[in-house]
Amino acid sequence: MDFYYGMAQLIGVHTLLGLSAYIVLLTGQVSMAQAAFFAIGAYTAGMLTVLAGWHIVPALGASSILGAATACAVGFPALRVKGLMLVIATLAFGEGVRLFFFNFDYQIAKGNIKVGPLGGEGFRQIRYFPENGWTTFDVMLFIWLFALAAMAVLWWFDRSRYGAVLRAVGEDELAAQSVGVNLTAVKVSAMTVGGAIAGVGGGLYAHYTTHIEHSSFNVLVATFAIAYPIVGGLSNVFGTLAAVIFVQAFLVEGLRDLGDWRNLLFGALIVLAMNLRPHGLFGRRHA
Amino acid sequence: MLDFLQVVVDGLLFGATYALIGIGFTLVFGVMHKINMTYAAASIGGAYLGLLVLKVMAGAPAWLVFLCGFLGGGALGYVVYLACFHFIPYSSPLATLMSTVGMLLLIDEIIVHATEGRPLNYPAMFDDVMLRAGEFSLRGDLLLVFGVSVACMAGLLVLLYRTKLGLATRAVSQQPTAAQLCGIRIARVNAVTFVITGLLGGIAGALIGASVGTLSPLLTLPLTVKGLIVTVIGGLGNVPGAIIAGLLVGAFENVFQLWRGVTERDLYVMLLLFVFLVFRPGGLSSKN
Repeated sequence: MDFYYGMAQLIGVHTLLGLSAYIVLLTGQVSMAQAAFFAIGAYTAGMLTVLAGWHIVPALGASSILGAATACAVGFPALRVKGLMLVIATLAFGEGVRLFFFNFDYQIAKGNIKVGPLGGEGFRQIRYFPENGWTTFDVMLFIWLFALAAMAVLWWFDRSRYGAVLRAVGEDELAAQSVGVNLTAVKVSAMTVGGAIAGVGGGLYAHYTTHIEHSSFNVLVATFAIAYPIVGGLSNVFGTLAAVIFVQAFLVEGLRDLGDWRNLLFGALIVLAMNLRPHGLFGRRHA
Repeated sequence: MLDFLQVVVDGLLFGATYALIGIGFTLVFGVMHKINMTYAAASIGGAYLGLLVLKVMAGAPAWLVFLCGFLGGGALGYVVYLACFHFIPYSSPLATLMSTVGMLLLIDEIIVHATEGRPLNYPAMFDDVMLRAGEFSLRGDLLLVFGVSVACMAGLLVLLYRTKLGLATRAVSQQPTAAQLCGIRIARVNAVTFVITGLLGGIAGALIGASVGTLSPLLTLPLTVKGLIVTVIGGLGNVPGAIIAGLLVGAFENVFQLWRGVTERDLYVMLLLFVFLVFRPGGLSSKN
């Protein structure tokens, strides 16, 4: 049973990652920096529980705030450029953050072992859950609490005036601007919310894997983040969830028998899916 | 000081390959206003196809491998066009972006499967030649990289600015609807652009393989990021800008490799990009 709980944990964390890209995509922007906010959340929460001895909930709060602050700070200069330039700018920012953690050492002695991030070797022994006697099931529930909360918040956004503004900017910037929408404020706010969600997701990820390193946050992870909402379609948050389940449960676990071939199939299926359903597997067709 | 000069010159010579990759991104952007994320992977894939010659004809000369890499890159360029651009509606930029990313993963995985995950040796030319002037030296293989790249760029510029095909390409990039009204078949120009950039990518991949000595699928992601950075610094859609930016990035990263080591080097390249985004978002030659 633990296997299924483990898979549910993975799906929960990836749902948070996908949702963080979803809200940014609603405004028509593609951010490849979500892995960076994820990394910042992971290292922040890990360092707070391991090095500073915090409880996990305030640690996740801190990683969410730091993720949001970074996203907001990136948003201002990066959103001066539009569309494809933003893809490149955020891609480079994501790689920059990864390289920062590749070179980041901060270890303190705890008992007779040293703990903390150590450059390329990564950050080991983030053992908050086992040390406090959480079972796999507890951890899964904890992760899904956050994933469902994020889904509920975004669902509510979608129904509210704010969601309408986000989609208006995504559909046609010029038209939105001409009815008095402040484009920069809307885009930066979407980035900030996305950063907060990615920060929480990263914090949870660090604690359930217990070991993070720079390569856990590479371009591939950023690609997954935008792939979930695009493959799932931008109609609502359930598309993202369905895409995460499709990719992680079906492609990665369900096709395990295929061994290495499933990676090959993964790329081919994305190409095929986008050719057949350009608006996502569960997206509405328009124009 | 001499060290510094040596490092700058070596970087400039290797930067020619970044320029070629940057040109590929920028040309496709200019014509289709879309990013082809597969490009660097297809370039490395083309270089791998070049290696197939050694399978068929053991001990084939290096130039033949390069030539096949060049042609293989062109063929892959067309495949990428068909798989990721031709059938996807123009109004779905997200779908194109995603399908090219999927194609990137696919090409990477095919390479990993075909080579069982081991890096392959790549033949080099003139790697035993060394021009010396006192302490200062020029590696023969880097000079070859630079020479071939410059020849390719010159060929491309002639093609773009002196032929009918180039005129059509530039017309489509300026105003697709008007170009269509003048009887230019847009789909054909797009396909030709992909083949041309594929050819350039194939030779760039082969040159990278030759100057590094080995070819590995691990090269694709860093090369994608570098190529995109070169594209932005040069100005999106600006071919001469991409050439200058490629050389600049090559020299810049080599200098920081000397000063800060290989693990921190790329961090400074990203910072360079952000300096450009903040102060010159239109690229090197923008008039703002």
